[in-house]
Amino acid sequence: MSQLVAQSIVSGLLLGGVYGLVALGLALSFGVLHVLNVAHGELLMLGGYLAFFAFTNWGLDPFVSLPLVFIVMFGFGVLLYLCLFRFVTRTETHTRIKNSLLVSFGLALVLQALAVRFFTADERTISTAYSSEALTVWSIRIPVVRLAGLVVAVVAALALEWILSRTRFGKALRATSEDWTRAALTGIDVRRVYLIAFAVSAALAATAGSMVSLGYSVSPGIGLGWTLKALIVVVLAGLGSMRGIVVAGVALGLVESLASVWIGGQYREVTALVLFLIVLSFRPLGFFGRARA
Amino acid sequence: MLEVEGLEVAYGDLQVVWGISFQVPRDSIVAILGPNGAGKTTTLLALMGLLPIGAGSVRFGGEDLVGLPTHQMVDRGIVMIPEERAAFQSLTVAENLELGAYTPRARTVYDQTLAEVYEIFPRLAERRKQSAATLSGGERQMLAIGKALMARPRLLILDEPSLGLAPIVVEDIFGVIRRIRDRGVSVLMVEQHVEMALEVADYAYILEMGAIVAQGSGAELEADTRVQEAYLSL
Amino acid sequence: MPRAAGALLGLLVLAAAIAAGLTVGNQHVLTLTIQIMILAALATSWNILGGFAGQISLGHSAFFGLGALITRELWLGGQAFPVAVAAAVGVTALAAVVVGVPMLRFRDIYFAIGTLALGVAVYITAGNLWPGISSLPAEVLRSYDFTGPYFFALGVLVAAILVSVWLERSKLGLGMMTVREDEEAAKATGVDVFAHKLAAFVISAAVATLAGSAFAYFSVSHYPNFAFSVIWTFEAVLVVFIGGIGTLVGPLLGSIFFILGRDLMPTDVDEFQVVFFGLLFIVVVLLFPGGLSQAAGRLLGRAGERSTATDRPTAARGRS
Repeated sequence: MSQLVAQSIVSGLLLGGVYGLVALGLALSFGVLHVLNVAHGELLMLGGYLAFFAFTNWGLDPFVSLPLVFIVMFGFGVLLYLCLFRFVTRTETHTRIKNSLLVSFGLALVLQALAVRFFTADERTISTAYSSEALTVWSIRIPVVRLAGLVVAVVAALALEWILSRTRFGKALRATSEDWTRAALTGIDVRRVYLIAFAVSAALAATAGSMVSLGYSVSPGIGLGWTLKALIVVVLAGLGSMRGIVVAGVALGLVESLASVWIGGQYREVTALVLFLIVLSFRPLGFFGRARA
Repeated sequence: MLEVEGLEVAYGDLQVVWGISFQVPRDSIVAILGPNGAGKTTTLLALMGLLPIGAGSVRFGGEDLVGLPTHQMVDRGIVMIPEERAAFQSLTVAENLELGAYTPRARTVYDQTLAEVYEIFPRLAERRKQSAATLSGGERQMLAIGKALMARPRLLILDEPSLGLAPIVVEDIFGVIRRIRDRGVSVLMVEQHVEMALEVADYAYILEMGAIVAQGSGAELEADTRVQEAYLSL
Repeated sequence: MPRAAGALLGLLVLAAAIAAGLTVGNQHVLTLTIQIMILAALATSWNILGGFAGQISLGHSAFFGLGALITRELWLGGQAFPVAVAAAVGVTALAAVVVGVPMLRFRDIYFAIGTLALGVAVYITAGNLWPGISSLPAEVLRSYDFTGPYFFALGVLVAAILVSVWLERSKLGLGMMTVREDEEAAKATGVDVFAHKLAAFVISAAVATLAGSAFAYFSVSHYPNFAFSVIWTFEAVLVVFIGGIGTLVGPLLGSIFFILGRDLMPTDVDEFQVVFFGLLFIVVVLLFPGGLSQAAGRLLGRAGERSTATDRPTAARGRS
């Protein structure tokens, strides 16, 4: 295998880690609340800007500001739920998805426009002292700032898995995700579950955004692209399934980079989209998903 | 214990329940019977706050329940087992039972209640690590009831407990329901299987087209010729 | 209002539009009006698929773009304009069948995100294959006359609305609406669900193509992939909802409101305009599913339009 291909593969895997991270959040909001938040990518964008300004204005290293970004955007997620998505969840699942699609699309427009206004359309990247550091394995360059994205993704996925399977609240989350009526009858405060799940989903998106502004770049218009990526990963992993999200994300990154080597970088995104459509038509539940009652 | 007066429930513009009144006294089993589409499940869902109540009052131990969020009703001891597969398929038996004791009141006596439930349903103890999706119909019903018991109910509401079960399993289930009543839990059940329900119920109401057309003790209704003709195929 | 009155009002508006096209000289006004007509035609086409048949497509810009691209390339390449338009409609209708057959198997959200993915893929591909800007040649530009584009756009809009009117009264349209309300029930009553969805898809695509042709005729210069941009889809959806989804004139009302509103806004800042319309859209979806049509209908004494979002806080569907 040539040097170029190997490097491309590794880059794809690293990017795939971030795909997985952003998808975790979407899987949470979609899996638990059954809403499709098209503005998920905009939340990533906002998180990226938050990390960026924390770095340039206060000198906070992005890893140091990570908890800050998480908490602030968790709060923003709470706000969005209370002001907006709460009303969408009042309806049954079928209309819920349609309404949330529309409402969040309006939200995405608004957030993106505000970002252009206040942050300008310039691309931003966090440049730390170690931004150009890289591990070199068999003459393949692994930039540290991009490896970080994959590491954070894996840690987040493990943490989420642990919460879902070991804690009481996690089980309540799974129960609500399966059937909110039955969850309510079990004594679970469904609105509180929704609130927390949504806020965490926003915080996860923002965390991904932090990694994106460190290892790649952020600008106001990146939202839709990231939402689509997250959507593709969630479908690949199986709608409604939390397991295998990071794996699916890495797989997507891999496919994209292979495509860019063989077909050309211009068609990188197109390949991902076409793959998505193929998986969607054969297995709407993805590779890992199980049919739910 | 539970007093419902003039309950009206509608689906949008469609009125389904037309001002019914019924009670569930302490330590008794009350059944609401009637054909499909009569409004039985609608009544239960409205009681639990899952459907909006158009008019009427619902009092439990004197406290007004209308407008209370569902999970708070569970905390007060009103636990409903919905029709069919009330347990969570994506969780194991043990996880389901653990979730059953979600409310603070139930959590304090979790270990004790769990032991009791495993005593009433030894088969659940055997299968505790299994996913709920792998259980048979009868076992799932047992799990549903066990899970409800974990919440330490004062009033247990059952929606069609016999649905989809083999006759011998139905006998077992109704036996369990009697035991539950004997332990001091009131039971309100909606049933299509009129014969079995009348045998086990202390009092029953017949609901047709959203209105109560007959009521009486189990024996009284069994003896009623109208009921016999319409429901008991005698 | 009763059918006859509505038709009369429509004819009056049409007459006014024709008169305006012949007399008004103000370029800005003409530009705005043409923009309204193009958007309204696109929105009307989306409404056929999304409003009548209930299939929310987020990739509609693909047909608009295809219409614009084929028309433009053929026309500037020497073909007569009507030929170019006909070719565009033919090709796109075919493409709609080819794409529709696999796509329409998806339901609800899968269809929405599937069409979104497809729309974005087409946009990127178009940008790769036609990167150069498409400008009207110098001679055409010198004698640029709004009359042609104006009346063509008007014709396209009228055609779009007539198609909607015809559909609304036809058995085909009724079948589509049945599918929208409840697919399972429709199937049970013998309605060929797939055929109706495909019909809506293809008709909607054809109308969108015409809107694209109108854009090709009107635009002085643009990058070919601009017509494929997801912005067109968003704007179409936006104005359909603001105007009233599923209604006949909703898309037109919404377009007028949107384009005029955008032009008349006190703020010059593009972004705040977007914020305004975005928030308005959210409010409409949540609180006024009937949009402007509903509001206008109430003013004129008609009973409320069909609502789109069922907002009942119910737990279960009708059961005993």
